[in-house]
Amino acid sequence: MKTLLTALTAVALTTGAYAEMTADQIAEKANQVAYYAGKDGRAEVEMKIIDKSGSDRTREFTLLRMNTDGGNQKFYVYFKKPADIYKQVFMVWKEVGEGKDDSRWMWLPALNLSKQIAPGDKRTSFVGSDFVYEDVSGRNLKEDTRELIETTDTQYILKNTPVDPGSVEFSYYTVKIDKDTFLPRYAEYYDKNGKLYRTVEATKVDTVQGFPTVTESVVTDLNTGGSTVNTFSNIKYDIGLKENIFTERFLRRPPREVTR
Amino acid sequence: MKRLKMTTFSVRFPWMIMAAAIAITLFFGAQFPKVSFDNDPENMLAEDEYIRVFHNQVKDQYNLYDFVIVGIVNDQHEDGVFNVETLGKIDALTRELISLHQNADGKPEVIRNGQPYAPELASESGWERGLAKVFGNDVNRLFAEDGSSAIIAPEIISPSVVDNIKQADHGQLAIEYLMEEAPTTREEALVIKTDAMNNPLYKGTLVSEDGKAIALYIPIIEKTYSYNVANLIENLTADWDDADEVFITGQPVAQDTFGVEMLVQMATSAPLAGLAIFLLLLFFFRRLSLIIAPMLVAIVSVVSTMGLLIGLGYDVHIMSSMIAIFLMPISVADSVHILSEFFDSYHKFRDKAETIKHVVSHLFRPMLYTSLTTIAGFASLATTPIPPVRVFGLHVAFGVGLAWLLTMTFVPAYIMIFVRTKMLDNLQPAADKEQHGLLGRTLGNLGRVSYNHWKLILTLTVITIVVSAIGISTIKVNDNPVKWFTQNHRIRVADRVLNDHFGGTYTAYLTLKPEQIQTLTCAERIDFMRTAAVEKFGETLPEASAAFLAILDDTNAKFQSLEHADIERCFVDLVETARGLDEQISGVWNDLGDEINYLDPDGLTYDKMMTSISAIGNEETRDLFVERMTDFQTLEGADLQNQALDIIDEYAALSFADFLFEAQAEANAPAFKRPEMLAYVDRLQAFLAEVPTIGKSSSALDALKKANFELNYDSEESANRNDAFYSIPPTPSAVAQVFTQLEGMKKKDSLFHMITKDYNEVNIWIQLKSGDNTDMVEVVEDIENWMAENPAPVELNVGWAGLTYLNVVWQDKMVAGMMNALLSSFVVVLIMMMVLFRSFLFGLLAMIPLTVTITFIYGLIGWVGKDYDMPVAVLSSLTLGLSVDFAIHFLERSRELTKKFGSWKDAIWHMFQEPAMAISRNAIIISIGFTPLLFAPLVPYKTVGFFLATIMAVSWIATLFILAALITGLQKWLFKHQDTKDSKEEQA
Repeated sequence: MKTLLTALTAVALTTGAYAEMTADQIAEKANQVAYYAGKDGRAEVEMKIIDKSGSDRTREFTLLRMNTDGGNQKFYVYFKKPADIYKQVFMVWKEVGEGKDDSRWMWLPALNLSKQIAPGDKRTSFVGSDFVYEDVSGRNLKEDTRELIETTDTQYILKNTPVDPGSVEFSYYTVKIDKDTFLPRYAEYYDKNGKLYRTVEATKVDTVQGFPTVTESVVTDLNTGGSTVNTFSNIKYDIGLKENIFTERFLRRPPREVTR
Repeated sequence: MKRLKMTTFSVRFPWMIMAAAIAITLFFGAQFPKVSFDNDPENMLAEDEYIRVFHNQVKDQYNLYDFVIVGIVNDQHEDGVFNVETLGKIDALTRELISLHQNADGKPEVIRNGQPYAPELASESGWERGLAKVFGNDVNRLFAEDGSSAIIAPEIISPSVVDNIKQADHGQLAIEYLMEEAPTTREEALVIKTDAMNNPLYKGTLVSEDGKAIALYIPIIEKTYSYNVANLIENLTADWDDADEVFITGQPVAQDTFGVEMLVQMATSAPLAGLAIFLLLLFFFRRLSLIIAPMLVAIVSVVSTMGLLIGLGYDVHIMSSMIAIFLMPISVADSVHILSEFFDSYHKFRDKAETIKHVVSHLFRPMLYTSLTTIAGFASLATTPIPPVRVFGLHVAFGVGLAWLLTMTFVPAYIMIFVRTKMLDNLQPAADKEQHGLLGRTLGNLGRVSYNHWKLILTLTVITIVVSAIGISTIKVNDNPVKWFTQNHRIRVADRVLNDHFGGTYTAYLTLKPEQIQTLTCAERIDFMRTAAVEKFGETLPEASAAFLAILDDTNAKFQSLEHADIERCFVDLVETARGLDEQISGVWNDLGDEINYLDPDGLTYDKMMTSISAIGNEETRDLFVERMTDFQTLEGADLQNQALDIIDEYAALSFADFLFEAQAEANAPAFKRPEMLAYVDRLQAFLAEVPTIGKSSSALDALKKANFELNYDSEESANRNDAFYSIPPTPSAVAQVFTQLEGMKKKDSLFHMITKDYNEVNIWIQLKSGDNTDMVEVVEDIENWMAENPAPVELNVGWAGLTYLNVVWQDKMVAGMMNALLSSFVVVLIMMMVLFRSFLFGLLAMIPLTVTITFIYGLIGWVGKDYDMPVAVLSSLTLGLSVDFAIHFLERSRELTKKFGSWKDAIWHMFQEPAMAISRNAIIISIGFTPLLFAPLVPYKTVGFFLATIMAVSWIATLFILAALITGLQKWLFKHQDTKDSKEEQA
């Protein structure tokens, strides 16, 4: 009985809190939902890069993610298709701490080469697609200030303004977040002249092992007329990844979690 | 007389003619506000012309844009442009251009030092502002209709926003912009210099090899914005000190600037020429009221013609802007003949109406024919394949027709209304005498020379023609829109300076694609794999290899029985089987490897490792592994793991599945992921580097080699080893993996300006130091020859695009078209002449002066070494139209006077009075009248001015001397119906 009461109180309190959530709290929660589901996870991704004329290039890769201490994360991206980049690997250690940079490595099997990439701009294209690295790994919340500009029946709409405008190509972006799942559904990026130039949309959402999960997302670049569609399949959470697979040694000899 | 009906009517109802003329002028004048201008030489070619379609296709396919090129040169600083201050300015300018947007007032605004800044772009000169207003050239027009900037910010090429790939600390690879931030120290500035010089894509393009200059390439959405963008940049750099000189050029800027200045010329040169003609007329005829008539004829004709052009919806193009200049002399010429006659014969009648009727009846036929021939000359331009030239030709023809009509009606009506009889009675004879006194006596003497020394004259003529013909044979057909500006024009200066520092500001694109896209069938692919498999596994794994080959053959047999085997399916099946085979052969080794791989390196010792694998795989394998590890037992942690894995990999690396993927990648590889094709491009580029006019060529290969080098660079290895990686990666997969890195650079898709996304086609950007068509043609020929001698591994389809190449194409068409037009109008005019004179011989004679003139003019062009360009080509039709006029008048009057005086010998003296007078006046008025054109800052205008004068002078000489001499020589045959005294004497 006591337990039930506590639970109820907790629900009530949380619900109450939701009603008055600040923009930062919403963003924090959305960030957790979108990028930190489970302790770790795995997904197969089909990435279709479509240009303005409609012709496309398709890449397939397996994505491993693991949450580590302090909100840090590790990512392992293992390419399977096309055949000429088969076994190519891209690995990231995402660091959210103040003044910390992400570490990135790549493995190019045909060159028998692993190389670490110096910390740099995270808003560069992810393997030539319209996604940028930040879309894949999540943008550090500390890099923006935000305000809640609208609340609809189903969504919160946040306007995010970069703390250091010189570091990014946008002047601000808005994100629509589903109230029930806290999953960000639609983001619009505005350039320095205030013109909308890029959208990111979660076009399909599913619940996997209890976690609301995006199964298809689309980025559209309004300047180039190109778009990229990511389709996620075989999504699994809490598969018990070992942290040591996110090391250079596993670039050359990929872990079973991606090859099997 | 029937032919006089029109004139009689005009004399009787002059006010109606006036009203009609005013109505026509108002009607056509009312079209002017609709004017739109087009200064794009690209439009010399029809919209659907193959090369234009291809050019646009290439631009679209590779996302290429027209550029405004901004060169910044610093000769003063010891580090050239690579000093803190200059680089800072360049960085600031780049960011300002990126930030260009419309402010609340709709005016252009940039962000300067974090603050909005709206530069005042309008010229300080009121005259220029006024002109800009009249011609609707708004300097603030820097935005598309949807308000977006005319500058394509993401595609700007500037050190601040171009990718660079380089070594960072700790063997890391840095992918960043060449100048991430403006440098603050000399060292930082010099690092940027080193980085730029080490990148083959930038050296000679973005930075000059001497380090003294940097060029920014500002892509614009449409060429028509280039003048305004150049103006904006001039404005934004106005406060730079002298050390950093800014030069703006590029074909779009040149073209757009030409367009703007062409309008200025239309507004200044043409009226100035009009004024000069007016003053000359005044000098000859002394009576203001009299000479207003030809001026009005010219104005009405020009206004109506331009009005018609605008009203019909044509843009005013470089060609049509010259309509006024061409039409003015022609229309004035007609009325000058009338006036001249009127002036000379008024004293005989002492009645305006009578004099007019006399003059018109007299001149009707020659004037009709001179107009018809001129119309024929210009209308023949309609046969050329160049749309603006067609429009030009037909409109001038219209204008000439109208001028004739006006001369027949308006001039008489004008004389009736506005010329006071009193003035004619009092002053004319005196002026007449005075005039005749000087010019008349000279002409009379000349007539005697023509008569007495006709053989000498004809000999000289033949010599002239021969010499001219030699000149013509050396004519160089060439054009270069940048050379349409005079030597010291800022565009020409910028062009010289920047082509001196850089690879070249003239762009051509050479595209290569395989004639056929290679797609292998399933059987071919399996065959390919079979060969490769024997090579790879035959010796090392003979048994497994045999098994694998059996699988391949099996699959082959299975798929060959199918009509349309799905290639993907055939591959998937194979991979599954190969995986099974791998498991059999190296499965144990892989299990070992995985186990060791997953061990925690912290505190890992040899013993710990051996314990962990004690139950993995079979004993045989483990024993072999232990044996191989004997020497490495002292290793610990990650080092131990790596050593163990290296050994395991020796056994596990032979994977049939991996092999299949490799083979698949190789068999599937698009043309330009194949090392042998890339090597061909490499050789081609090496050849291009040797072609003198090519400053530089850039391709995806340059990016590929650079990236391969940087990826493989190892500071601990020898320079030789590292340099060896400045090359094409060895396999299609290796090429693909390096290209993948380039696809994900900061500036997305910049690779795809040089290669298509499917890697089947490449685009080589060729920079030429000269925009001369002849140079471009030479480059094309050189490359064709080289490619013929050095065939590519697969047959290639070669395409050319780029503005420099486009110019060549339209020019070829222009030359051929003009030649055809000239020949066809020559024939037409010849026929007209025969009809007019009802004589074959007279018809031929009439063609002599223009033939001599054209031969002489083009011979002169050849001798002087002036290029045969667009304005020169068009002049041929003008020559034809104008110089035949003189001949018509001369022959018509010769016939008439010979009849009147009974012999050519007697007639010739009279010929050299009145008729020669009219011709001479015309020649002088037109040649001197157009001298203001010589002061224009645009070469085509100068050319037209100079050649108009020359054409007049030569036609004048050709008519008065050669024609007179020829008539003298041929009088027996020419005047056989009249027993001339001369022929009688000769017979006697």
